[in-house]
Amino acid sequence: MIHLAFVPTLVLFAGAALEIVLAGVLSRAAKGWLAFLATTVALVAVLAMMPAVMQGDVLTATWFDWDTGIPLAYHVDGLSILFMLLGTGMGSAILLYSVGYMEHETEGTTRFYVLMLLFIAGFVVLVDAANLLMAYFAWELIGLCSYFLVGFWYKQQAAADGSRKVLIITHMAGYGLLAAVILLYVRTGSYLWTDPAMAAAFSGGIALLMIVAAMAKSVLYPLHTWIPEAMNAPTPVSALLHSACYVKAGAYLIARLYSIGPWHVGLGNVLLVIGCLTMVVGVVFALAQTDLKRLLAFHTVSQLGYVVTGLALGTSLGVASGLLYAASHALFKGTLFMCAGAVQHATGTRDMTKLGGLSSRMPVTTLVWIVAAAAIAGVPLTNGFVAKWLLFNAALDANQAVVVVVAWAVSLLTTFSFLKATVSVFYGMASRELCAEEVHEAAPTMQVGMGITGALCLVFGFAPQLIIQPVIDPAVHALGFNQQVQMTWLGVLTGSGSIGVTAGAAAGLALAVVFGFGAYHLVRAPLAAQTVAVFSGGEKLPLDDTLGAADFAEMAEEAFAPIYALDPDRVLFPVWGAIRDGATGARHFAAAWLERNPALTALVSAAVLLVAVWLL
Amino acid sequence: MSVDLIFAGTFAVLALGIWLYAISVPQGGRTWWALTIAMVLLAIGGVLTSGSLISTICLDLAELAGVALVWSHRTKPAEAAARTYLYAILPGIACTLLALALMGETGNRPAIFVEDLIVFLIILGFALKLGLIPFYFWLPAVASTAPPMTTALIVAVVDIATFVELVAIRQTSPWLFTEHTAIWMIIALSSMFGGAVLALAQTELKRMLAFSTIADLGFLLVGLIAGGSAGIAGVWIGALSHALSKVVLFGAVGLGEMRIGRPLTLDTSGLGAQLPWASAAFIAAALSFIGVPPGFGFAGYWRIYIAATQFGGPLLIAALLATAALDLLCYARAIHRTWLGPAQVPIIGTPTHLASGVLTVLAVVTVLLGCYPGVLTGAIVPHLLAMTQ
Repeated sequence: MIHLAFVPTLVLFAGAALEIVLAGVLSRAAKGWLAFLATTVALVAVLAMMPAVMQGDVLTATWFDWDTGIPLAYHVDGLSILFMLLGTGMGSAILLYSVGYMEHETEGTTRFYVLMLLFIAGFVVLVDAANLLMAYFAWELIGLCSYFLVGFWYKQQAAADGSRKVLIITHMAGYGLLAAVILLYVRTGSYLWTDPAMAAAFSGGIALLMIVAAMAKSVLYPLHTWIPEAMNAPTPVSALLHSACYVKAGAYLIARLYSIGPWHVGLGNVLLVIGCLTMVVGVVFALAQTDLKRLLAFHTVSQLGYVVTGLALGTSLGVASGLLYAASHALFKGTLFMCAGAVQHATGTRDMTKLGGLSSRMPVTTLVWIVAAAAIAGVPLTNGFVAKWLLFNAALDANQAVVVVVAWAVSLLTTFSFLKATVSVFYGMASRELCAEEVHEAAPTMQVGMGITGALCLVFGFAPQLIIQPVIDPAVHALGFNQQVQMTWLGVLTGSGSIGVTAGAAAGLALAVVFGFGAYHLVRAPLAAQTVAVFSGGEKLPLDDTLGAADFAEMAEEAFAPIYALDPDRVLFPVWGAIRDGATGARHFAAAWLERNPALTALVSAAVLLVAVWLL
Repeated sequence: MSVDLIFAGTFAVLALGIWLYAISVPQGGRTWWALTIAMVLLAIGGVLTSGSLISTICLDLAELAGVALVWSHRTKPAEAAARTYLYAILPGIACTLLALALMGETGNRPAIFVEDLIVFLIILGFALKLGLIPFYFWLPAVASTAPPMTTALIVAVVDIATFVELVAIRQTSPWLFTEHTAIWMIIALSSMFGGAVLALAQTELKRMLAFSTIADLGFLLVGLIAGGSAGIAGVWIGALSHALSKVVLFGAVGLGEMRIGRPLTLDTSGLGAQLPWASAAFIAAALSFIGVPPGFGFAGYWRIYIAATQFGGPLLIAALLATAALDLLCYARAIHRTWLGPAQVPIIGTPTHLASGVLTVLAVVTVLLGCYPGVLTGAIVPHLLAMTQ
């Protein structure tokens, strides 16, 4: 009998196989429903494993030899369950959304659903694998799925170019993981990370190799530049990539390092710096965007900085904050992408300079967007606030006040950015072209898909204990930390060390609200609605001189000019150019000197070989 | 199951695929058919009698059949390439035969002066026959002048059979490698890096494939030098994967050339829109060839990585991974500048379903074997372990 641990993987692979077998029979919508069904069954199987794992059990199972001497071995603990829930849960919502989204796609729907299912299956194998070689295999499987999905519209140059960048950056960085796995095997004779010998063999260098691989997957600075280029994919792909199955793979690997070997403080500090830098660079680049999906992509970069910063703190509270942030980000970022997809689907553009005034024509999408935007900005009553609040507490608890300052500043910039996006897309005036078009609300399946994840942002913001106790705590325990996170309604921490911080923050918040109201009334800001007054800070502007997303982007570019110089592509492209030029030089040399005189070259080479054999 | 049988079976399947392809996309006249049948039979005979003089003779004759096959295309460039091929193969054959004669039947280690001579002759002989750097001239010349499936047969069947012969020599006379590691490693690394760099610089796809063959043979040679059960198993599996992938790659390029009426270059954008199956087969085979999971190539690559790390430490694995990165850049460029993107070149002629079908089946086999390599390695690795012990 097949062990329960294998069921999610099997169901997802079976779903992909059925999509291929029934490709000629099923309609486009039926293919979508089949994919949704497979992912939902996988989700149910994951939920079935939860009670045992919540009690601290680990489900271990070995099936058959995937390769000679390499068994398909699973080790399902709290961390695996958390990430499986993200993969299958978000996967279900996104595939439900896809039913409506892909209905009008004329070709490639079978390819799309097969790849989406394999993508989720690969992620499930990655987080369950006890065998590091299998984990690398799954790591690259999800890499390949994302490559093909990003290049889904491969006849378009932008999509093809984006997928190429995804392949090159993430696969090359993945060699870090492969080298680490090989080195661990050579030192221990085992591929199982659960093997006790691993801890002794696990050095800082090996951890660094794994972190390099994780950096590219989790879009950490400076290996993040592929993600904005990957935006030419269908929106469900972007949603899955950003929320669950791709960028979270790197976060999983970083968290799993705690299980494999001893955590090095120096390594934690390196990750803290990378995390904070990623937060800042991501949000500053996001401010300059006028393309809605590119803006969301850069926010993914920034938000992953929060996740990694939490994980890098190296304390129980820190790891809990990183994992909660990962889960929260999956929900609000998945929702935001689905909303952005609905907008693009309805209007045919994602250029914010051409959008506007959609709230009246797409009220449901607007509502869901506002909830998710509030969550990413960290507004209380949303899961984003709870995650940020826990991170701030964890950083203070670990004496990392600088992290709090950086994270707080980045939160402010995130709020600015989403204010711009929300006003540009949903409020103000629509462009003339858009006014002329018949813009419709998203299809019902799309509304339900994004509605579920949007609602969960509120549920876990209001009652975060619903996710902390059954999911986050077991995951933290799986990594060797015993302290529980004591959290109650609205994200208020009730642990003995947190009371002071909570009380202080509450007082500060109350003071800020009072000060804000006071300032507002003193200045007597105009109450009449302006088209885009929010960009002018409430200033009245002449009707023919309104500010919009493009002005905002220009302003950001001017203000943060030195940070834009940190674009790693300015280094990566010249490196690629140098390699190409070097290769061309070698070709010219070979053609001019070696291939033109093959007999002479062969004779000279043979003579050199003869001497070398004698000497060496 | 014997490894020899698996190679013989693989050659037979690949030859069948190539012949079916050639029905749909003609590669030559009666001479071509006769020579390919002779070449395949000789290669199969060579691997089935591995380790004997008959094997060497069969494989040498297969090489000569390859030369005749290139010559049979009767164009001036093809004849020039065949001449270069012949000038490389004849001394190569002479060197290996002389070396084997000096080694005698036992293959035991001889006196020091003779040993150096044998090592020199073996390295030179196989470098010439396999087209390793710096003796590579014939391979790119053949690839750019002969029809794609002619080159595919030479690379995937004759070259791989010759490499299998080298592996057999490594098994019977390990001192040839263990006592002369440095010189073997220089040849292997220069072929690996040189091949990868020169492949990256090519603009014509057939020449690029030829140089990447040289790089991959250098990579396999590193595994052979490192030895051990992981190294030898990696080399066997890598060689099988090489053969399978190269037939698909050359076949896809051949289909593209036939439909656009000129050689495929990096300026031929968007063929995937017009030839989706050939494009998909090329992409799958290319990714498998460079060792990206879930392609079959990975099953050989990870074993060679382990053998190389055990043999040469982190520096050697870094060298192998650097080459893999160059291969990735090379193939990613080929995939994206030739097959993907908007279609820019009009296609001519009629669709070739049989050829596309053959390539698709072989590409699917490559992926399936990569997803579950145990189905093949389970049959051969225990046998290899017994051989190496």
